[in-house]
Amino acid sequence: MLYNICMVSDFFYPNMGGVESHLYHLSQRLIQRGHKVIIATHAYGNRTGVRYLTNGLKVYYVPTLVIHYEATLPTLYGFFPLLRNILIREDIDIIHGHGAFSALCQEAILHGKTMGYKVCFTDHSLFGFADASSILTNKLLKFTLSDIDHVICVSHTSKENTVLRAALSPRNVSVIPNAVVASQFKPDPSAADPNWITIVVISRLVYRKGMDLLVAIIPRICNMYRNVRFIIGGDGPKRIDLEQMREKHLLHDRIEFLGSIKHHDVRNVLVQGNIFLNTSLTEAFCIAIVEAACAGLFVVSTKVGGVPEVLPTHMINYAMPEEDDLVIAISKAIHMIRYEEVDPSRFNDELKDLYSWSNVAERTEKVYDLISQTQEAPLIERLRRYYGCGLYAGKIFCMVMALDYLFWIFLEIMLPRHAIERAETFPYKKYRDYFNNNRSPFSQLSQQHELEEQEDDDKK
Amino acid sequence: MDVPVAHQFQSPDYQYNLNNPPWRKLLWVKQNYPDNYVDSTFLDELQKNVNVHTYDYWKMVYESGVITQHISSVVIFIAIFIYLQQYSLAASHLIWSGSLLTGVGYIFCDFVMTRRQHAFERKRVAKSAIFFFSTLLGLSPILKTLTSQTSDDTIWALTVCCFLANVLFHDYVSHSRAHVKIPGSLSTNAAIFASVLLASRLDTNLDVFGLLSFAVEWFALFPILRRYLQELSPKVQVTLTLLMLLISVAMFLRISKAIVCLYMLGFCFITFICPYWLIFIQKYKNEIHGPWDEARPRLQKSKRNLYRKRST
Repeated sequence: MLYNICMVSDFFYPNMGGVESHLYHLSQRLIQRGHKVIIATHAYGNRTGVRYLTNGLKVYYVPTLVIHYEATLPTLYGFFPLLRNILIREDIDIIHGHGAFSALCQEAILHGKTMGYKVCFTDHSLFGFADASSILTNKLLKFTLSDIDHVICVSHTSKENTVLRAALSPRNVSVIPNAVVASQFKPDPSAADPNWITIVVISRLVYRKGMDLLVAIIPRICNMYRNVRFIIGGDGPKRIDLEQMREKHLLHDRIEFLGSIKHHDVRNVLVQGNIFLNTSLTEAFCIAIVEAACAGLFVVSTKVGGVPEVLPTHMINYAMPEEDDLVIAISKAIHMIRYEEVDPSRFNDELKDLYSWSNVAERTEKVYDLISQTQEAPLIERLRRYYGCGLYAGKIFCMVMALDYLFWIFLEIMLPRHAIERAETFPYKKYRDYFNNNRSPFSQLSQQHELEEQEDDDKK
Repeated sequence: MDVPVAHQFQSPDYQYNLNNPPWRKLLWVKQNYPDNYVDSTFLDELQKNVNVHTYDYWKMVYESGVITQHISSVVIFIAIFIYLQQYSLAASHLIWSGSLLTGVGYIFCDFVMTRRQHAFERKRVAKSAIFFFSTLLGLSPILKTLTSQTSDDTIWALTVCCFLANVLFHDYVSHSRAHVKIPGSLSTNAAIFASVLLASRLDTNLDVFGLLSFAVEWFALFPILRRYLQELSPKVQVTLTLLMLLISVAMFLRISKAIVCLYMLGFCFITFICPYWLIFIQKYKNEIHGPWDEARPRLQKSKRNLYRKRST
């Protein structure tokens, strides 16, 4: 069955990151499978209105006020009329929200259920339970996820975490991992310098990514091995600590800082290395290590969150988030690289099949099939679900939801459905066929990309 | 929060099919289970309430002595101020008894508790004490006229706020520490400021000097002595608490009986009812730990204090 899907999230192009690329690639694959996909996100600077991305992916850049790290100001009902208009215009069947931090997504879920659409949500991050921000966010998540058709998590640890946070039934949560476009991360054994063993670190330089551990182990590793050097990409508040460490131990010839790296340059930085080091203190699904393994690096990572579930054991060395354990793991990895006990350039072929976007799209489509068969709950049942959120919170959330419902009735009367013009669906197949037949150099690149992906699909 | 128990939601059909290899918690293996399959090992690594320790009622009653001692000290100070204001207490008496008691307390700390004092340190202490008190004597005429333009009500309101801050932010650490430092600066500053406000309501320079020197000794130095006495033995702690209670009650009896009643009720509440209340609500504690928690990076001992978590 083919659906009209609306993906909603605050985080999308031109912002670069995990959620953004997940949205983009998943949407592209779903379009290839024949569905209609549109994306609603907030406006980025001057980029407002409707834009079309590759293969006719339509994006609505909604003008809203942005606060703190690309999240919208939550106004509860402010987004409702515009969202309703978008959903009716595009004849949407299913709303799919991404990202627990995204206020736009949470509001879309709430309004979508009020209007009677089928809604599902993908959670990309792990949360604790103890600190103040987690307690508040978890309560809000419990509110929005009280009434949802299905939830998708990117790893089994993330599923356990989400089930506890939002008090969901585990049968309503599916685990569909992230994927990587393996052809964008092809290995290049000749790019690494044969005189050195190069350890690459690419991450945001923040406390959460274990930068303190990195600061502690780099001098020790450099001391123990004379021919090991580090390449550190990325930027953040902890860069100062790393530079101080370099100054203190006089490692200017052993450590190189590349600063912020654009997404399309990541592969070129990765292939210069032999080992990829990840010292995060918490990760739901670390896509960085999959990208590194695809690019032909051996991975050393801390054993936290969902990381143990991601890579096969011959591609990765684990360590506890402790300085001594990390040094041991890195030493083992250096030993394995030096004596050629492992051939990382073969990882790409293996990972190509294990993590592919078409597999993710297929599994997501199964989730859509599942939810499109569910019955729509009557209003009283929905109120009952929100009421169970807590002693005081339940009553407040019921009031919020009831007001939402009344607002919807008001909109149905004042801006009736028949007055909203339906938009033309973008002719995806015709567009692709036109490009495939056309011999322009620009299309040859995308054509090659498409052919490679289709080859991978055909192999399965 | 209702934690769903794994076996309630376990997917029924799959584990009975013996041809199926067992489900593994891995993402890179193509398994013959649906994406929303719930295994019997679901939430196995969840740990609830591991860091919670149970409290003993009488131990908590004993520990509450620290708080009641401090509140009694504030009450005694206010009583002394009222006596000064009503001319029941002469300033010179206050100054001499204050200095005498401070001297006794200092000698006690010196000889009994720490045996490391050298002769030159005592000289330094004596020099700084003399310097401090002579400065205070010189400043008291200025402090006497500090709030002459302010109304009485403002002074009482500000004083109440400051003493409240003092009681709330005081460092109530009760277990022994080898080196005891001056109690937290916010609480001491609040107390000194309150005593300056009160002192400015007095009539003569000597009164002002007396109250302020007593305030410094009472709020900055006496807590240190109390901590040393605490470490001595539990009996000393209990005796001190009761003694301070009795003194504050005796001093306030002449001023107002209603305050005495209120104070006794408050004392009973803090000492006996609050510990019971705390133990009662411990049963609602729901602490959850698991593999999703942000790990605490363990560095080598020498570096541990340098890298503390910052809010990034």
